[in-house]
Parts: sequence; structure tokens; C-alpha cells
Amino acid sequence: MKPEMETRATQAGKGWADKDGFVGPFKPGNGPRSDPRGEFPTGPAVGEQLPDVHCISAEGGSFNLHQHRDNRPAVFIFFRSAVW
Amino acid sequence: MSHFDAAGIAVYALSYDEPDALQDFAQAHGISYTLLSDPESKVIRSFGILNTLIDPDDHPWYGIPYPGSYVVDSAGLITHKFFDSNLAVRAGPEQLLAAALGEVVEDSAVDAVQADSVSVSVRLDGDALTPVVQKDLVVRFSVPSGRHVYAEPAPEGSVAVSVELDDDQRLVQRPVIRPDSESHTLAGTKESFEVHHGVFELRIPLTLNSLFSSDAGEITVSGEIRWQSCDDEVCDIPARQRFECRLPVSEAPPVALGGNRGSEIEPNAMAHFQKMTQRHGGTG
Repeated sequence: MKPEMETRATQAGKGWADKDGFVGPFKPGNGPRSDPRGEFPTGPAVGEQLPDVHCISAEGGSFNLHQHRDNRPAVFIFFRSAVW
Repeated sequence: MSHFDAAGIAVYALSYDEPDALQDFAQAHGISYTLLSDPESKVIRSFGILNTLIDPDDHPWYGIPYPGSYVVDSAGLITHKFFDSNLAVRAGPEQLLAAALGEVVEDSAVDAVQADSVSVSVRLDGDALTPVVQKDLVVRFSVPSGRHVYAEPAPEGSVAVSVELDDDQRLVQRPVIRPDSESHTLAGTKESFEVHHGVFELRIPLTLNSLFSSDAGEITVSGEIRWQSCDDEVCDIPARQRFECRLPVSEAPPVALGGNRGSEIEPNAMAHFQKMTQRHGGTG
């Protein structure tokens, strides 16, 4: 499923306001402001098992989510970047 | 974070950044939850949430997910998801905490309700509204025992419980989150419809956008609550209750879109950004 690109924008000072009134330096539909319009994929559904996650920790070691979680409830966030 | 720790809830946040960039970020912002690195976007792809609107040649943006979060129970089953089509709308900590903690519990205030009336209260889940961070305006109903209010869909000619906020360009509102309703069958007619009993909440996810000037310090949110309450014999006429609450506003998070007051760039961010651009083989 490839969603449609959200491009509705109005110029606001030095930036661009999107359809919800959030202003950013990029015009909506460009680079980091590539928002979907309407339906877009959001991964596994409520009621399903969260897939295990194997990746690298901030310290550089290998990481395994369900092992680290150790039967605790958890919040798992996907964010865009810690750099920009 | 202390609320999550106290409740025994683990918190993880994953991005396509390199581990050293995450370490600098954690240090600059005093982050105590677990940051995870997925530089090739393998995990992001495996979840099916890679932002495919970004062209693979568009460095360094290519590789980011549609941002969002999952809440899982102790068995690892997903109980809630928070994804919004606007990247600037992020689930607030109170929303995540409330989701991880589970359902509304009955509170002692119920005892104070008059026998024949529904009582309604409005509050913000959280200390203050904050630009970009979504919080729930919570409308709590206490329905006396032996009575019910109509849920959606209400039977023909009846009114389902609802909350409608007055238009305000500064507020971004998402659809009302309703609790599960129960099916109620009238003894006489065997007619069945959806209702709510006892104490329940409707939640309206709200975010402040850039039109709000945080100098104002507060925002007035107003609207109308509607419901219709019945017992097994008769229904009251539909009720309407106007409300107005003044909600405090706190400053935007430091890295919020638009570079609000309090924005601070982590000292090595520029170097990390350069590296990230090269990592994808781009020229910037």
C-alpha cells in the first residue's frame, strides 16, 4: 500500500503551515515532512503479538526486545530521528 | 519517566540513527528510556512502516518510519497503537501511560451522584497542553445504577453520548475515543441496543498547533456534551451540557517542529547529520 502524499500547505512567515496548522521549514510533501494523506500502513494490529525486535542498542551492543522486556508491559516508539 | 518506572512499564524508542548519535541525544536531553538504533531501517521495514513516500534517493530522509507507538501487555500483545497521519501529532506521555495501565477504574466520586441523574466532569489528562504533544481531554460520565445512556449507534430517534468541541483554529482534534459499549436488551420487547453503564470516559485527543502563542499561558476549550439516559421503563429527554475549561499550556518540547523557544541543538548534531547523509551514499 503506497499512500497518497499530503501536500496541502499555506505560507506562514519563513515556513509553511500544513493542513493542521503546524509550521515547519519544509513545505509539506518534501523531505522530512512527507506525510501520508488518508490511509497509511501502521504495522501489526491491536491484539497481535508485537514482533520481536533485533537491533543495536545506543551503547552499540546487540539488543533483543522481548528478552530485555522480561515480561514487563512496554511502550515501543518509532521516531524519525534524534539528529535532525 | 518515573511514572512509567513506578508502574513497571518498559519504554523503548527506535530510530534509523547511529548508536553514537543516540548516545549524544540521550545525554543532551537527559533521556533515561532505552534508545535503539536501526541504521539500515531493517526493523522499520519488518514492521511495514517505512515511509515509502520518500524517494530512495532522497538522502538523508529515506529510511525513516511513519512515526508512531505501540503499547504491549506483559505477554507482548499489542493493546494500543498511536499513529497519526501528521508527523507533528505525537502521542503524549499521559496517553501512553493511560494505555499501558489499562481501563478506567471506578472512583469514589460515584457514590456522591444523585440517584436519578448522570454526572459529567471534564478534565485534561496531564498537567498542561503542549504544542505538538497530543493529550486527551477526558469527559467522565457517572451513570447511576439501574440506568444507562445510549452508545453509538443509538436507536432511531434517540441520542448517543457525544462530545463536540467548538471550532478553534489553534487546536488539532482527532476522533473521539469511546469505550466499548455493552449490549442491552429490554425485557419486554426483546429489543437490543448499545449502552454504557456506570463510570466511563470519552477521550478527545488534542494537540496545539503553531497558531497558538505559548506566551498566553493558557487556552480556553469549550464545547457541548450530549447524552440520553434511561432505565428499563422510560427515557429522559436528551440532555445537553455546555462546558468551558481553561487549560494551562506549557512550552513546546525542545526539538519540536518550527524551532520554538527552548530549541537546542545537540552539539554533535551537525557531524551526525553529515555522516548520515554520506551513509546513504548521497551528496547532501
